[in-house]
Amino acid sequence: MIRFDRVSKRYSSGTTALQELSFEIMRGEMVFLTGHSGAGKSTLLRLLLMLERATRGQVVLGGRNLTQTPDRQAPAVRQGLGMIFQDHKLLADKTVFDNVALPLVIAGVRYADIGKRVRGALKLVGLDDRERSWPLELSGGEQQRVGVARAIVNMPPVLLADEPTGNLDPELSWDLFSLFKKLNDRGMTVLIASHDLELVRRMGRRVLVLSGGRLVDDVTPAGKS
Amino acid sequence: MNPSMGIQQRIRGWSHRHSYSFFSSLGALLSNRVGTLMTVMVLGIAMLLPLGLHLTLANLGQLDLEEEQWGALTVFLKADVRPEQVSSLAAELEQLDTVSGIEVISPEQGLAEFTEASGFGDSLELLDTNPLPWVISLLPTPGEGLEGRVTALSEAVGGRDVVERVEYDRKWLERLARLLELGQAAVTILALLFALAVVVVVANTIRLDVAARASEIEVLTLVGAWPAFVRQPFLYTGFWYGLLGGLVSMILVNLGLEYLDGPLSRLLASYGTDLQLLGLGVSQTLALLLFGGLLGLLGAWIAVQRHLRQLRETGRLGRS
Repeated sequence: MIRFDRVSKRYSSGTTALQELSFEIMRGEMVFLTGHSGAGKSTLLRLLLMLERATRGQVVLGGRNLTQTPDRQAPAVRQGLGMIFQDHKLLADKTVFDNVALPLVIAGVRYADIGKRVRGALKLVGLDDRERSWPLELSGGEQQRVGVARAIVNMPPVLLADEPTGNLDPELSWDLFSLFKKLNDRGMTVLIASHDLELVRRMGRRVLVLSGGRLVDDVTPAGKS
Repeated sequence: MNPSMGIQQRIRGWSHRHSYSFFSSLGALLSNRVGTLMTVMVLGIAMLLPLGLHLTLANLGQLDLEEEQWGALTVFLKADVRPEQVSSLAAELEQLDTVSGIEVISPEQGLAEFTEASGFGDSLELLDTNPLPWVISLLPTPGEGLEGRVTALSEAVGGRDVVERVEYDRKWLERLARLLELGQAAVTILALLFALAVVVVVANTIRLDVAARASEIEVLTLVGAWPAFVRQPFLYTGFWYGLLGGLVSMILVNLGLEYLDGPLSRLLASYGTDLQLLGLGVSQTLALLLFGGLLGLLGAWIAVQRHLRQLRETGRLGRS
């Protein structure tokens, strides 16, 4: 589903974010990406979102080689992904419903279907009673769940999350990871960047460890393959 | 765009996205009513100036500018002239080839006409004597070289002992025609300048709008919006600004005409002219609104292209 083949990324400032990175994530896997700040986790996700282009190597997503995909096709690539951000990136002047509906509007889905699918996504994240609320009326955990609902409302095959628990307390973080597990159980491929090692260990899933832009460990717990 | 999508699905998606942008742009304008009103008023006033001048010229153009009529000579005779002298002169002038029509107006007829046209009937009754002279109105024969013939006729008639002076309407008619030409050129220049002003005002407003909604643009881009979808609400907003500006200018010009119609009609009636002020017709109104909308669209397009490119350069929108 996701393949990095000897990928390097060097910014114009001279900073090397990724070096000779190679790994593969199979369809339906749930994988954690860990490492200290500056290890290259966010850059890796930005390559998948086509927000950056690899300096060397190949990034393949769902059979499509992103290093050879023209920039004008980036929106199509992003529409096939669900992305969750640490700072939620919700629009404060739109209701929860409208925020979650955004990917569907962009995809040109009929209004009648939008309502059904938004409510389904909100129910899945446990916010079905908050669709008329404004983002600022919600707690941090609820806002992050709205972000998750927006990411999954299109039922993308791949879900990416960049430090999704960065602003949450341990209990809410665990709830959120459990939600990701539920989505993964439904067949979604999930890649989560997180520096919360304790939480990652408790989830018992495959972990890719980055350091200085290199893959230093790829751990699959016993019983998982 | 997903290549596996059918054409029908694509059209449906396209129309849904446009309807979203259409309504969200209207919503954005309504949510900032004061700002919107101020921008629209500025645009309306900018459009009002060339529009008002255009209508002024159109109304002046209504005046009957037929050469034959306005080429007429009005011959004012001396106060002490006797009626038989008037008849003799009139008969002589009637024989001329250059004269196609003649009308003799006695002081009594003149006073009666003036009394009727001016509305000063009561005041004129106070006069002991009729101050108006005999007047002969000469209509020159139409055709080539009219101006030269009228000038010669004017000089010939003006040299008679019984003639006080000859007035020649054509001179001021020509001046009016030149003024109208000048006015038309001024309208064109003003229209271009104010069209540019509309584009600049809308571009500046949209520029601020883009800056204020940079986070929203970033989110839209991250969740897979095509650049066209990101641009659409701003383009619609620009179109609304221009359209509403046109509407304001139309309302203002109609109010102005309504206000001026009565006094101007009374003034012109005192000169014996019946002029109905021209306003904007349906097609002109539609053209004005459409033109305003298109100017707004152009301003929005310029601002959005420029500022989205700047946002991309900051890296907020990634490499696409």
